[in-house]
Amino acid sequence: MTAQVINGVQIDETFAEAFPMKATRLIITARNLTWARHAGTTLTGFATSVIACGCEAAIERELTEDETPDGRPGLAVLLFSMSGRELARQVERRVGQCALTCPTTAVFAGLQDGEPIALGRNLRFFGDGWQASKVIDGRRYWRVPVMDGEFVCEEATAVVRGVGGGNLLLLATGLDDCLAAAEAAVAAMHAVPNVILPFPGGVVRSGSKVGSKYAGLHASTNDAFCPALAGLVVDSEIRAPVRCVLEIVIDGLTDGDVAAAMQAGIDALTRPAAAPGLVRISAGNYGGKLGPFHFHLQRLQAPGPGPDKR
Amino acid sequence: MTLTLTLKEAPPLRVDLDSLVPARLATLATQAIERLPLRLGSDTVAVADLFRVRVATDDAPLLRLEGDLSRFDRIGQALATGRIDVRGPAGDYLGLGLAGGSIAVDGPVGDYAAAEAASGRITIAGRAGDFTAAALPGNLNGMRGATVIIDGDAGERTGDRMRRGTLIIGGQVGPLAGSRMVAGTLAVAGPTGPGLATGMRRGSLVLLRPFADPAGPGPMFSAVDSDFPVFWTLLSRLLMREHRAFAALAGTIPRRLVGDASVDGRGEILVAPS
Repeated sequence: MTAQVINGVQIDETFAEAFPMKATRLIITARNLTWARHAGTTLTGFATSVIACGCEAAIERELTEDETPDGRPGLAVLLFSMSGRELARQVERRVGQCALTCPTTAVFAGLQDGEPIALGRNLRFFGDGWQASKVIDGRRYWRVPVMDGEFVCEEATAVVRGVGGGNLLLLATGLDDCLAAAEAAVAAMHAVPNVILPFPGGVVRSGSKVGSKYAGLHASTNDAFCPALAGLVVDSEIRAPVRCVLEIVIDGLTDGDVAAAMQAGIDALTRPAAAPGLVRISAGNYGGKLGPFHFHLQRLQAPGPGPDKR
Repeated sequence: MTLTLTLKEAPPLRVDLDSLVPARLATLATQAIERLPLRLGSDTVAVADLFRVRVATDDAPLLRLEGDLSRFDRIGQALATGRIDVRGPAGDYLGLGLAGGSIAVDGPVGDYAAAEAASGRITIAGRAGDFTAAALPGNLNGMRGATVIIDGDAGERTGDRMRRGTLIIGGQVGPLAGSRMVAGTLAVAGPTGPGLATGMRRGSLVLLRPFADPAGPGPMFSAVDSDFPVFWTLLSRLLMREHRAFAALAGTIPRRLVGDASVDGRGEILVAPS
């Protein structure tokens, strides 16, 4: 393995392995940003990993009044799932339980081009026959009477092919340094459009490998990066002075978006003195067996070729 | 191809122009267009008998009709693509069953304009007759999806049985506007007549003027006082963009009445503050 060192941080010669997902964007608006955040936070709650959550979702960014269909403040949220069918199920369930219920909110499609899935098409039946639709500029909206007035929801949203599972592994000398580095990288990556970091605070400590010694478990702890297992597992990646590893997982609408986010994270961490205690940046892959998108860390640093797609 | 048909003189009887659609005409040579048959009463005449024909080659299929065409009916009937410009008055059934494309008239039009129109766009600079965007006699649904903008007034039963689409009237409307509306949006900038929204089942009727009758649209409509800012923003922005008479809607909060309770009762009349 040939490592590259930038301002004291080693960039491993390895790649993050990502896979195709189905994705959509929703626009949630409300009377003010506080209520939009309430809806967006709950709607994207318990959506860290498709392994058990059904989808991966997070708030992409906040929107000003000029950026929303109804001229109110709002949020863009991105949701990713392994199939269009499951994504449709998650969208309906989450919008129905977290946006329909939240005072003052309205929900709009955030993507127009792609395969349509139901947004308000089925939620309208909550109106018990009092719902009404209106087509404005070629887009159908449902108006469902609720106790604060009415819930307006666009008929459908579009599903596109997205990319899930881009990642960075940050190896540092201790927990505090590793957390600080992860937070700095997350802040830089949040500025990249079309991506989300679905784990809590954008960071996951329980990085996983495919498979387990226990039948029926599809994933288990990434033992090669567990400091507690250094010296116990044959292929441990932990060398002194590393004592802590955190991972940032990225889902994006395209492989280019994921690559841009990964690059933004690496750039933020490799500026002089940007991340004291950060020793290495690596990435998780499964030998190319899991997904067709391979993001080579050292190539991300150099302008030119984007991610490999196998 | 731009095909310009200039009327030589007003015909003695009414003429059906339903066969003249830009996409079809674009495939024909000039002489073939001149020979196309048109119904004149119970007779048949050729296009060249009534019109001077000029052809200009360009990309967009455009049919331009010039002259007093108030005796020419069914202009743009079932038009699916392309554009028809009428420079002068037009007859009845303009854009009947429109399926796409656009029609622009810079004068008045007769009855049943945009009747049962399903898609596309019609703009009329003058007055429209009765039953604009309505259903033909015996049919259940009127306009079902187009956008129709009329700068002038419109006659009786404007939007009768309208099911979908947007109809904007810059002037006043005659009696029974919005009668038996199934859905869609009818916006009227000027005064309205008696019988407004009688039998309205669903849909939205937007008014810039108070009701002519102080009693309002009648006992089958109820005033409701609830918030609907999102829908109103979406709708008012559309109206503001489509017609200058509605430019002052920004930031307004309309009065809302729902009815007609004698039928489905899910229609709404939105009266913007004057």
